[in-house]
Amino acid sequence: MEHQFVTNLQSNQNIVHKVCTLYTNDKDAHNDLFQEITIQLWKAYPKFRGEAKFSTWMYRVALNTAITLYRKSKRTIRTQDYDSVIFKIKADEYDETEEEQLKLMYKAVKQLGDIDKALVFLYLEDKDYREISETLGISEVNARVKMNRVKTKLRTILNP
Amino acid sequence: MMDELELLKKDWQKRDKEIPQLSYNDIHKMTWKKSSSIVKWILIISILEFVLPHLLYLIPAFKDSMHIYDTLGFKKYFYLISAIQYSVIIYFIYQFYKRYKEISVLENAKLLMHKIIKTRKTVKNYVVFSLSMILVTVLLMIVGIYLSEDFAQTLSEFNTDSTLSPDKFKTVLMIGIGVTGTLLTLFMGAIYFLLYGRLLKKLKENYKKLKQLEI
Repeated sequence: MEHQFVTNLQSNQNIVHKVCTLYTNDKDAHNDLFQEITIQLWKAYPKFRGEAKFSTWMYRVALNTAITLYRKSKRTIRTQDYDSVIFKIKADEYDETEEEQLKLMYKAVKQLGDIDKALVFLYLEDKDYREISETLGISEVNARVKMNRVKTKLRTILNP
Repeated sequence: MMDELELLKKDWQKRDKEIPQLSYNDIHKMTWKKSSSIVKWILIISILEFVLPHLLYLIPAFKDSMHIYDTLGFKKYFYLISAIQYSVIIYFIYQFYKRYKEISVLENAKLLMHKIIKTRKTVKNYVVFSLSMILVTVLLMIVGIYLSEDFAQTLSEFNTDSTLSPDKFKTVLMIGIGVTGTLLTLFMGAIYFLLYGRLLKKLKENYKKLKQLEI
């Protein structure tokens, strides 16, 4: 069982890395949260019956750990950490305006609250509103309303 | 804005290839590490809260107070109070265990937060109960000393300072016990609420945000 779990997690580890990048601000905190999510996933693994996809199941555990269970809160926003690997923009891939826009967007997302970040994260991962609402425990209508508010909030951060 | 978020989504999904990967061994090692989640901390603090007040009885001063009960003829009341106290404690431990077991990382975020807050409430009620019991005990001691007729005699065992008259010593002792008891209760209460306040600050804020969405 352990081998199966580690293999499964290894091939889906990007989900955890992305959550860690959103919710922490430096490498140590990133690794710390990654470890805690791994422990929570492993503890819950006996209850994973393969009804859902392993990755779908991971989103819930990873977000719950980041939002609720994770204790250390090195959550002060430090802009110099923002260009961690995931957020590094390669200059040659975009034109200047796009590049600038993306940088600002990533920075704005990092400034959001825990719940708002979760919404944006699931949205960026292309999850539908049903899955978003089920993960957070709110109704689908409220998930849409909330997402619209987050968009407005992002707009305010981008154009103060 | 829509366009910007769509651009971000496109970019976000392209980044998968660039994320540094952990090896099988790295992940395997992690599964053996101990969790440091707030649920674990609630469990540790709660066990300490159940155990610590009982360690107080090991302190000599508390042993003396048992002796005072004995000489004052309060022993049977003390046993009665202890019996009630332990039944309530067992009830709290059962409630706590039940709620603690209900916490699952597989719930949706809101339900998970709700269950953690509910578990914490059990501990909070227990702490309020324990602190009240300390105050009741202190009060009982003071009343006992006050009502005791032959207290001067009893005192001679404790009063080594002969400069104080028995009556004066009685008053000093009553005030002393009252002040120490109250301060101890306040101190323990403050530690508890500070500890939990810090631990659950983030959780409560997030829970409030999710709850607000319902209105």
